[in-house]
Amino acid sequence: MNDRRVRALTLSRWAVTAFCVVLALFPFIWMIRTSLVPADEVYVVGLRLLPEKMTLQNYQRAWEEARLGQAMLNGFIVTFGILILQLLTVVPAAFAFARLQFRGSTAIFLAVVASLLVSSQVTAVPNYITLSALGLVNTRLGLIVPFATSAFGIFLIRQYIVATPIELLEAARLDGLSTLRTLLHIYLPVARPAISAFAVFSFVVHWNDYLWPLLVARSQEIYTPALALAKFNVAEVGRDFGALTAGAAIVTLPAIIAFLIAQQRFVEGLTGGEIPG
Amino acid sequence: MSVARRAPAAGRTSLAALSERLTPWLLIGPALGLLILFVAIPVVLSFVASLYQIPLTGLQWKFVGLANYAEAFADAGVRQALWNTVLYSAMTIVPGILLGLGLALLIESFSRGRAVLRTLLFLPVTANLVAMAIVFQWIFGVRGGFINELLALVGLGPVNFLGSGTTALPTLAAVGIWRYSAFNMVIYLAGLTTIPRAIHEAAAIDGIRGLTKVRKILWPLLRPSTIFVTVITFIQSVQVFETVSVMTGGGPLGKTQTLLFAIWQQGFWFFRLGYASALSFILLLVTVIAGLIRRRAISSTDVV
Repeated sequence: MNDRRVRALTLSRWAVTAFCVVLALFPFIWMIRTSLVPADEVYVVGLRLLPEKMTLQNYQRAWEEARLGQAMLNGFIVTFGILILQLLTVVPAAFAFARLQFRGSTAIFLAVVASLLVSSQVTAVPNYITLSALGLVNTRLGLIVPFATSAFGIFLIRQYIVATPIELLEAARLDGLSTLRTLLHIYLPVARPAISAFAVFSFVVHWNDYLWPLLVARSQEIYTPALALAKFNVAEVGRDFGALTAGAAIVTLPAIIAFLIAQQRFVEGLTGGEIPG
Repeated sequence: MSVARRAPAAGRTSLAALSERLTPWLLIGPALGLLILFVAIPVVLSFVASLYQIPLTGLQWKFVGLANYAEAFADAGVRQALWNTVLYSAMTIVPGILLGLGLALLIESFSRGRAVLRTLLFLPVTANLVAMAIVFQWIFGVRGGFINELLALVGLGPVNFLGSGTTALPTLAAVGIWRYSAFNMVIYLAGLTTIPRAIHEAAAIDGIRGLTKVRKILWPLLRPSTIFVTVITFIQSVQVFETVSVMTGGGPLGKTQTLLFAIWQQGFWFFRLGYASALSFILLLVTVIAGLIRRRAISSTDVV
């Protein structure tokens, strides 16, 4: 290939890439842009990327009217509550399945993997029945408890531990460490990459969850961010997209930040074990 | 390596040995108990509950046999929801695969900046779908919406994307493609890393590159990724909820009704938990069968 052709190819590749990035990010760009437009101009600024007058009053309106402060706090309580319970139940189980032998361990692990086929959407109605029997509907605990463990997390972290050298376990045995100490002092540090990948994954998934809060949270005091935003969207009869996009931006931010902080691990966590590589 | 079998020999059976033998069960116990309570029991419960008539409040169950299923299969709304799912999958799977693979190959073609590109292009998957649905509602809006403003530039429109029966489902599918192709890209990137360097080198020696290389070499080798992506997209489209709930509410006239949205409506709008359970059980069967097909298809290629 001659020089000019190479340059043309490079240029067109950059053009295609730029186009794809803009397309992927366009909803975010348009969200931020609209959220900065004064309320009376939302429908008249047309295609201009930035309005002449910019304002933050939409953020204030969304924050107050959708009661996003309370919802964000609830969101953090629920997602971190889920995460803590998941780590407490998932890590020990993953370690046991990876490194301890006990009767039926293979069969039980296969059952755990099989449960991955059952999504939380499918179990929403029966879980709602269980929770109403337990009196947990319309409570924060009810938003947390069904997700207190994760078959995906067990699978992911178990696969990671299985790939570590067996000598680790043998050394711990030679040192006379009990099983519990082996878990706490050897495998907890060793499995940290997998554990943090799972943690970010869990945070993003549950921060963004909408169906379960929609079923369980009835009073505004326990609305999660996605639910508060959806209710604001329904209540906002004036279709003021300035305030709506401002609310959308606020709700979107925490999961995006969590993802950006740990993006490498998040992507690995998402694809890990499910797909070769 | 067995903890139990390494326990002190007979005669020295101590408390310590017993506790070591119990340790695995203590470690898996909480997770196992919760999985039984919130995954295994619900599977059984959704079938049992589907045989009853259950009001949302109170737990007076009335046995009705298979009446809920009979109603589901006779219900035009359910049939429409299933049909919409098929249409939505058909509209999202192929573009999602092509775009996902295209983006992955694009990223691979760069020697620097891959991580940044991947992060940027992956953002749609991590965004809150309710928030994005609101933004897309605005982008596709009749008045002042970005797309209609664009169309107005060339003297077209306005098109009532979400309010018209012909465009509502394709519009939701467009949002789906936006999201799924970002996810698919990551799967294809992972798939591409498993292709041995020698294959790329052999192709280069034979002068095979560009689209020919994609078609003749990469596409067959990426079959497991393609199967994975196809089934995942299908499972996700059966369970589309946020965009339907926020952008169309299943309308106009049920044209964007999906199975999961119908379940929510029946159970929590019309307060019919038994009927919603029957629909959930149908959804369960559909997704589990799809998941099993994926596992079989992928393991038959001996990659996973």
